[in-house]
Amino acid sequence: MADMIQSPIQAADAAASSPKMTARGVSVFYGEKKAVDDVSIDIHREHVTAFIGPSGCGKSTFLRTLNRMNDTIGSARVEGRIELDSEDIYASSMDVVQLRARVGMVFQKPNPFPKSIFENVAYGPRIHGLAAGKAELDVIVERSLRRAGLWDEVKDRLAESGTALSGGQQQRLCIARAIAVDPEVILMDEPASALDPIATARIEELIHELRGNYAIVIVTHNMQQAARVSQRTAFFHLGVLVEYGETSAIFTNPRETRTKDYITGRYG
Amino acid sequence: MTDMAASIDPSPTDWNGEAMRRRIRRRYAAERRFKLLGLAAILVSAGFLAFLLVTMFSNGISGFARSEVRLDVDFPRSSLFLDPAALEGFGADQALAGADFPEALNEAAQAQYGDSGRSLFSEGAWIGLRDAVRDDPSLLGRRATLWLPASTAIDIAAKGEGEAEAERLKARLAEAGRVRTGINWTFLRGSDSTDPSAVGIWGAFKGSLLTMIVTLLIAFPIGVLSAVYLEEYAPRNRWTDMIEVSINNLAAVPSIIFGLLGLAIFLNVMHLPRSAPLVGGLTLALMTMPVIVIAGRNAIKSVPPSIRDAALGIGASRIQVVFHHVLPLALPGILTGTIIGMARALGETAPLLMIGMRAFVAAPPGGFADPASVLPVQIFLWSDEVSRGFVEKTSAAIIVLLVFLLAMNGLAIYLRNKFERRW
Ligand SMILES: Nc1ncnc2c1ncn2[C@@H]1O[C@H](COP(=O)(O)OP(=O)(O)OP(=O)(O)O)[C@@H](O)[C@H]1O
Ligand SMILES: [Mg+2]
Repeated sequence: MADMIQSPIQAADAAASSPKMTARGVSVFYGEKKAVDDVSIDIHREHVTAFIGPSGCGKSTFLRTLNRMNDTIGSARVEGRIELDSEDIYASSMDVVQLRARVGMVFQKPNPFPKSIFENVAYGPRIHGLAAGKAELDVIVERSLRRAGLWDEVKDRLAESGTALSGGQQQRLCIARAIAVDPEVILMDEPASALDPIATARIEELIHELRGNYAIVIVTHNMQQAARVSQRTAFFHLGVLVEYGETSAIFTNPRETRTKDYITGRYG
Repeated sequence: MTDMAASIDPSPTDWNGEAMRRRIRRRYAAERRFKLLGLAAILVSAGFLAFLLVTMFSNGISGFARSEVRLDVDFPRSSLFLDPAALEGFGADQALAGADFPEALNEAAQAQYGDSGRSLFSEGAWIGLRDAVRDDPSLLGRRATLWLPASTAIDIAAKGEGEAEAERLKARLAEAGRVRTGINWTFLRGSDSTDPSAVGIWGAFKGSLLTMIVTLLIAFPIGVLSAVYLEEYAPRNRWTDMIEVSINNLAAVPSIIFGLLGLAIFLNVMHLPRSAPLVGGLTLALMTMPVIVIAGRNAIKSVPPSIRDAALGIGASRIQVVFHHVLPLALPGILTGTIIGMARALGETAPLLMIGMRAFVAAPPGGFADPASVLPVQIFLWSDEVSRGFVEKTSAAIIVLLVFLLAMNGLAIYLRNKFERRW
């Protein structure tokens, strides 16, 4: 079934550049339980890819395999092949620390470090040696905060704790922290689910702006959000990738009845 | 189904009815009762603490003071036969050692206070005489007035608890301005002695300090590293489960067992010096380590996983996550555990008795390998003495131990507040 979904998309993209990330036959187990079942998908450069699907269908689990965050869960086991620029990320030659710098992640709940705003953003560049000195670090911090749309709000209080910001500001701080290490892919797990409509709109705007430079994957329960920000949408159900294609096609003309039922709110 | 639901729900809830009001009254009463009980518990424990502190201080504070009796010594006519010139430069110690100060004290005391004059002064009072001469050899050429430590009987009388006869003696001396009370520097600077008026706490204090340093230097790093390894690195399997159970049990093992272990390993196998702070510290470290491991693991566990995810998510390595994020956040908890363990170690006697730290040590230890006493053992030894003069010294030593403990706690609280972060 995966092949059936894949082939038309691959054909359409063959002319364009090769995909940034590819997953082939990926299954994830928590102990004996299969949470993701034989998923194959391509993530494209300069695209926003949305993962939608009912709660518990394995969106987060699959997202976390893309930067090997599942390695931190003792019971989790991943099968199949995932490539970043045609390089197997589960190969023993792949350095997981560098992988996570290249494939950054923004979590559902804002999780700034209990350190100053500056330190939050500077931490990544510092541990990866991306800045040669304090001046360069200052530049990186300012650029990241600007791109995350937070600079004007915090430029006078960079020394204050990151946890003292509002929820929406904290989430933008986390985005600034993720882009400060200049990743190639950004994974966002429901980044706006805890935010009010205004903060959500800011984050969506931000995703729009970031799209030019990164491949972005976003998990969302908000159909309108998926339709607004993404170019491609993947619908998951019970661990299976049911349908994947152009967002406009998925929302206007889904091929599967399950997809149609879900996006029209008949179940979820 | 609908029929049943309808029949169960007969009328809207009566929020102002008699039954409802009674329930509210009962709830308030229960809350008041609970508050009173809690208050009573606090009062009882505060009462015990106050009782302990008041008795200790009222008994012990006089241990820091001592009475001195005035003695006029006519050095040229004494039996000292010392040449002031011999006390300059080399050979001074030898000259001093050769002179018969006890006899000189006897003579002067009898000359001034009659036949029983010597009994007004403590046994070791001649040391005061010697020190005076050593510090100022010119005394030898003239008549001088010295203040020397009073005997235990006079001392206790001066502090208002003496027997009738000593009281009368002391009253006569006081009338003539021949007795005074001052800070007992000997107690603060000296070490153990057989004469209660000559004992000091400094030796035991320094012994405790050195022992605690060894304990901290061994137990803290090993304890914290074990906690980090067990929480962050160790796989969950039968072996780590067994280690966990063993560590929990180790924390509950009676301390005397650790003393036997220390005796067997550090003295009999490794042949480290007996009675030394080094061995004492190592033995107490065995005891303190499990406490630090348990507290450390709990503190590390309570660091929110979201912080770990955040750091891992931007490509921090495991060790960076631990040292940059987890440990700083866990440090307050680790310090609390450490201070509990260290406080227990500071007050510990039994294991130290096993490794020979109950020896009579008359000089403060010069280093980690010198024979030393520690405060709780010193307290234990003095409380066993028959002489009356040791009673107040025992209490005074307890005060010193409590002050040591408070200082240690204060330091830990300061450090904890310094490192405390919110998230
Ligand atoms: N750490 C874990 N250990 C065991 N099972 C897990 C773990 N995390 C997730 N699961 C299970 O895997 C399945 C997929 O979970 P996942 O979090 O990926 O769902 P999701 O699609 O992200 O849901 P939601 O939209 O509610 O976030 C669920 O059935 C869940 O119970
Ligand atoms: Mg999820």
